[in-house]
Amino acid sequence: MNRFSFHQGPRSRALILSVAALLLSLSATAPTLAETPNWRPSASERLVKLPGTYIKKAIDQDFQESPLATALGDVGTRIGNKTQTLEDLRSAAERADGEARNELQQQFLAEKQGYIKLMGERQDLRRKQIKTKVHLYEALLRKLERRGEGTSQAMEALAKNQEAAKQRFSDSVATVDMKLFNSSTATESKYGKEYAKNMAAIENLVTAIDAHPMNVQPEFDGQPLSKQDYLRQLIAEGESDLAILNQEENILGYMAKLVALDAMALSEGLADDALALGDDGDELSSPASAVDFFITRN
Amino acid sequence: MTCTRTFTLAVATAACLAATGAAQAGTLENLERERAIMVETILDPSLTAVERQRKIVLSQNRLVDLERMVIRDKSLAGKNTPVVKKAFENYDLTFLVHASVEKNLSLMDHWLSQVGVSTKNVMDARVGRRW
Repeated sequence: MNRFSFHQGPRSRALILSVAALLLSLSATAPTLAETPNWRPSASERLVKLPGTYIKKAIDQDFQESPLATALGDVGTRIGNKTQTLEDLRSAAERADGEARNELQQQFLAEKQGYIKLMGERQDLRRKQIKTKVHLYEALLRKLERRGEGTSQAMEALAKNQEAAKQRFSDSVATVDMKLFNSSTATESKYGKEYAKNMAAIENLVTAIDAHPMNVQPEFDGQPLSKQDYLRQLIAEGESDLAILNQEENILGYMAKLVALDAMALSEGLADDALALGDDGDELSSPASAVDFFITRN
Repeated sequence: MTCTRTFTLAVATAACLAATGAAQAGTLENLERERAIMVETILDPSLTAVERQRKIVLSQNRLVDLERMVIRDKSLAGKNTPVVKKAFENYDLTFLVHASVEKNLSLMDHWLSQVGVSTKNVMDARVGRRW
């Protein structure tokens, strides 16, 4: 009955593997955050002043230049390589027999552990990215809302008077031009002529700015969104991404449990020809795409 | 000697530049100045009717541009100073030319009506000694 002796070759290795897998199932989804690289964007005044759609682009660009994005890209590459290794090992295990097959199955289990660990790392980096982004959007929203609060009653009255004056003035400009400058005694001034010429140029530029793709105003269901509403929508999208990450974390937890069970089954000698030999799955973005490696037991 | 002259020239140039900067007034200040000249012309008893009319026409052409400069001046938007507040509270007095054309009155009649002087008031007035 000395089943757990360390002198039984592959069995003892499988036992070690199973213990490692159990430990992994506890730790895979919670690696240390202190080691992860950072992204520290700030809700600058320049960002607040940008048009709605450009805010997101500017933030995404800032993220791409951060160490966090580099780390995320690096983990993504490693996950891609790991997925390829899993594919290769699975094919090799299908073709192998006896002791070699046993060895390959153990390697396959070890690689699956590695895959879960990498996915855990990726989840943490993604969580950090999304949380930072949501906090940034919230800070921008607070700044925008504070701007509106600063207007006093006197300022409001002045703005109202200035608006009314502009309206009244624009209504009388044409009449003034007709009455004063259509007579033979008075001609339009240099300022008037230059202003009209420049105004035409400005109108052309404004039309070009309005039509510029970088200046497209955010819309929702065909309706234009204010900057505040757009930021609220981005915050909601960030929160939904976090919820999806939580769900993906559950998937990783279940994968880790399956690896642990497979390892135990292997150590008990019950897992012959029963390890992960299934269909291809090469999409790397979500742990759900790699579930086949873990659930197939035919 | 040459060095001293160069230095003096540089100081003089700097002083000229500084003076130009200091003298530069805002659009509203320029409008106020021109408007004051216009009111002075209206009230000047030494002018004949023809001279007054000629001066008013000249001033009016300058005022049209100055009024347009003020209304288009973006730096005045939300500038909560007493001068700016007062200017926009009294559109008819600030934008004299545009308001007078809008009301189809001569510039002088418009200004007089705004300060409370009408033909009826003048006709009703009695000559007497103020105690």
